[in-house]
Amino acid sequence: MRGLRAWFWRFAGLFRKERQDREFDAEMESHLQMHIEDNLRRGMSADEARRQALIRLGGVEPTKEIYRERQGLPVLETGLQDLRYAARALRKNPGFTIIAVLTLALGIGANTAIFSMVNALLLHPYSFPDLDRLVLVWENRGIDEGVDARSIAPQDAADLFNEAPVFDALTTYRCGNFNLNAEGNVQPLLGCRVSANFFAVLGVNPAVGRVFNSAEEQPGTDQVAVVSYGFWQRRFGEDATLLGKAIQMNGKKYTVVGIMSRGFHYPVSTELWVPLALSPAEKVDRTKLSLESLGRLKAGVSVAQARIATDSVALRLQREYPATNANRRTEVLQLRKELYLYSLPLFLLLQAAAVLVLLLACANLANLLFARIFGRQKEIAVRTALGAGRWRLARLFVTETLLLSCIAGGVAIAASFWSVKILRTSIAPSWTMWVPGWDGIQVDRAVLVFTLLLVAAVGLLFGLATVLHSNDKHPYTTLKEAGRSAMLGSAGRVRSALVIAQVMFALVLLVCAGLTAQGFLRLVDAYGGFQAANVLRTEIRLPEKSYADSSQLASLYDRILRGNAALPGASAASVVTNSPASNVDNETTFFTIRGRSTLKATQAPSADLQISSPDYFSVLRIPLVAGRVYSYADNADAARVAVVSRSMAARYFPKGDELGQQIKLGATDSTEPWMTIVGVVEDVRQNWWNPTNRPTIYEPFFQAPQRSTVFLMRVTSNPAGYAASLRDVVRGIDDQVALTGVGTLETEITDSIAIIRIMGVLMALFGGVALALSSVGVYGVLSESVARRIPEIGVRLALGAEPRDVMKLVLVRSLKLTGIGLAIGIPVALAVNRAMSSAIFGIVSINLFLLAGFTVLLLVVALAAAYIPARRAMRVDPVVALRYE
Amino acid sequence: MSEKKDVWQGTLALMVLKTLHTLGPLHGYGIARRIEQTSGDLLAVNYGTLYPALLKLEQEGYISSEWGVSDNNRKAKYYKLTRAGKKQLEREAREWEQTKAIVARFLTPGEEVT
Repeated sequence: MRGLRAWFWRFAGLFRKERQDREFDAEMESHLQMHIEDNLRRGMSADEARRQALIRLGGVEPTKEIYRERQGLPVLETGLQDLRYAARALRKNPGFTIIAVLTLALGIGANTAIFSMVNALLLHPYSFPDLDRLVLVWENRGIDEGVDARSIAPQDAADLFNEAPVFDALTTYRCGNFNLNAEGNVQPLLGCRVSANFFAVLGVNPAVGRVFNSAEEQPGTDQVAVVSYGFWQRRFGEDATLLGKAIQMNGKKYTVVGIMSRGFHYPVSTELWVPLALSPAEKVDRTKLSLESLGRLKAGVSVAQARIATDSVALRLQREYPATNANRRTEVLQLRKELYLYSLPLFLLLQAAAVLVLLLACANLANLLFARIFGRQKEIAVRTALGAGRWRLARLFVTETLLLSCIAGGVAIAASFWSVKILRTSIAPSWTMWVPGWDGIQVDRAVLVFTLLLVAAVGLLFGLATVLHSNDKHPYTTLKEAGRSAMLGSAGRVRSALVIAQVMFALVLLVCAGLTAQGFLRLVDAYGGFQAANVLRTEIRLPEKSYADSSQLASLYDRILRGNAALPGASAASVVTNSPASNVDNETTFFTIRGRSTLKATQAPSADLQISSPDYFSVLRIPLVAGRVYSYADNADAARVAVVSRSMAARYFPKGDELGQQIKLGATDSTEPWMTIVGVVEDVRQNWWNPTNRPTIYEPFFQAPQRSTVFLMRVTSNPAGYAASLRDVVRGIDDQVALTGVGTLETEITDSIAIIRIMGVLMALFGGVALALSSVGVYGVLSESVARRIPEIGVRLALGAEPRDVMKLVLVRSLKLTGIGLAIGIPVALAVNRAMSSAIFGIVSINLFLLAGFTVLLLVVALAAAYIPARRAMRVDPVVALRYE
Repeated sequence: MSEKKDVWQGTLALMVLKTLHTLGPLHGYGIARRIEQTSGDLLAVNYGTLYPALLKLEQEGYISSEWGVSDNNRKAKYYKLTRAGKKQLEREAREWEQTKAIVARFLTPGEEVT
């Protein structure tokens, strides 16, 4: 308490310096006078009295200084002094200041931009209260079947909630397409059937109206709907009377009871929610993993505990219901991390690259600072002689670097408002709407705090590093030594080490940039096994009630296909259940091979299932490997046939005898018809994130007609121009059929890897910056070392060396520095290459040419950077140089 | 060497407070003289160090200061004990007594504990 009071006094004392000085002088004077009077009374002479008094008082000046220090807060005062000094120094050296600020701002800005993405996408993808307690719960058979296969059986979900005491609540839902009938048009919508507690579990409230109650979860009383804010805005123009009105979907009337708040779209991009009304049979079903599930953990329960608890329930279910639950385990994952499988490696890479850029910028800055320190040796010696301790000097340098760092931080933040906005708007909304949290990428408080911390860390680090490497020599020696022969032995080595580090970072960064850029360039190859050019694509959705009969379905599609194939310039038209670049994995199915030993229901092999019309293979130019593809003759009346992919044939028919064998969908006891394998086609890579070729079964569309399909048509040129004709043809056949996402396949593919493209651009940018920074670094170190060695060069020249020899000296030094940097950098770059290719499958692979190329590039750049200093060295006049000494 | 200084500084504060308590408001020179007297001239107080100590006591609120006129019609800064200062004096005096008692027990030839 007393200490605090004292502190306040001292703080106030900062503002009363003059008055306090005067008072102290007066007090000392009065003390002296009184003592002198006493001495006079004792009989001393006037001089003696004064002398004795002064002696007893002790030194006035030191006392004054102690007193003054006590009065104010020396730390603050000297701090302010240092700040003013630093600001003045920066103003006097505008060249240095601008370069330093820009370099640092670049490094800091890169990290700010990347962190804004990391913050929005990895840390806060959703704005639900207590996000960390929300978990996804699903079942699998022990193998990872991808993000889209996270589902659970209804009765299993009920059992998990009841028996594992880790959940506050568990909600289930199922999403799908709804066809909205409005103004005679059919518009497809993404909608989800959700349990009544869905919104409560997420912790969200509707903006208007209400959400579902448990009465509405029964079949028959479930025709109510909650819509999203965006949907209300777009399709109903924020009509205030929408509540209570009915909308027509899938042929049924749904009464709108609530409108969600702006920005709520869980699950991603959902516009519509209706109650999940399971029939009594469905409620107790264990056979089909037909629902998705989300839970809120109890307070204090960790995800690990939840996993253990749910797993033990799963084991019990395995034992009690072997027919349905064999091999079934549960998984629990925090909602926040739902996309980490894909997003984490990408962002780690970006963040690492940004950090490398910052380190490069810092290395450059350090070199610049050391050069300045070198020029200030005299000043430092004088300060030390006047009594500045190491700590005081440290404070001086740290203040300077912090000031620099703060200015750079300010510039970086200003620039980041612009750069972050560009990042956020660089990918089409039709893709970003699938990425939770994307719209939250902005320079918000968390990003600002991060930047400030970075600024402080950089400033402190640099200040301290500068102090550690400033001379330990006795100030006397420095003051005595003339001219520039006061060599900074250790600091020179540190500068060399910094440059070596810069070259290493630059190489690694360049290699990463090159790999990502190259990966993007090979984008078409990321999708393998087909040709995407000149293919038109759209999705077809039929209205709910019509075409109930599969023969009606078949004839509808037959007409659609023939009508479009007849368009001028169209070479072939087809439909398929899942097209490449759809961002969705194929449907998977168990299958049985005739004649192979019987397996239990849950142990049957599985493959991807594609149902396509005959021309699918020619539209996408998928090569045929053996046998034949099916034709229009393989229709409902003909024998069942199938085509398999090459990897499927290789895995299940290693002897190569697949043609003629029979398979059927489902397990041994399934009643599906046997299909004869008539052909083998090349493997198709549908999505860039899936590197493995899954075994695929192709079933003829006309033997298993589907309601919703993807329509693909090959044309001779300009596929986009066919959009209108396509719509006309389909409308002419049935105007209730909805077409969505009409576009070219190539655009779909490009959009689907937009994130890689962004990364490629960012990495190329970082690589370019790295190259620039490290070449500036090499140049800086070399020119400074030449300047320092002018006397030595003068001596050499005077002793008979050729100017060319001197130039060689400089070039050799440059090569040596770069060489060491590269020698260390190459294995690091290789390791990074390997890590990248395993984390970002399919895009990146080991590429030694790239590595060799950049190594050579850096060597060339180093030589170029050495050129000017070398010429300067050559032109040294030995007479002048020696005289300067 | 600095340790000794700290000890003396601590006791200096105690001596200042006691002096002011006994003599009432007094200027810096008077305090210094009185301390010398009381110590039987064994202590040669460096008058210079007295003033920073007085400032510290003032900042901590144990004494207050005021410009006044001395006996010889000279302007001088007078220091006065505050109520908090009086309490602090009592506290420190108690602590000294305790320290004195403990050290005394060690130094007195007493029963040997075997």
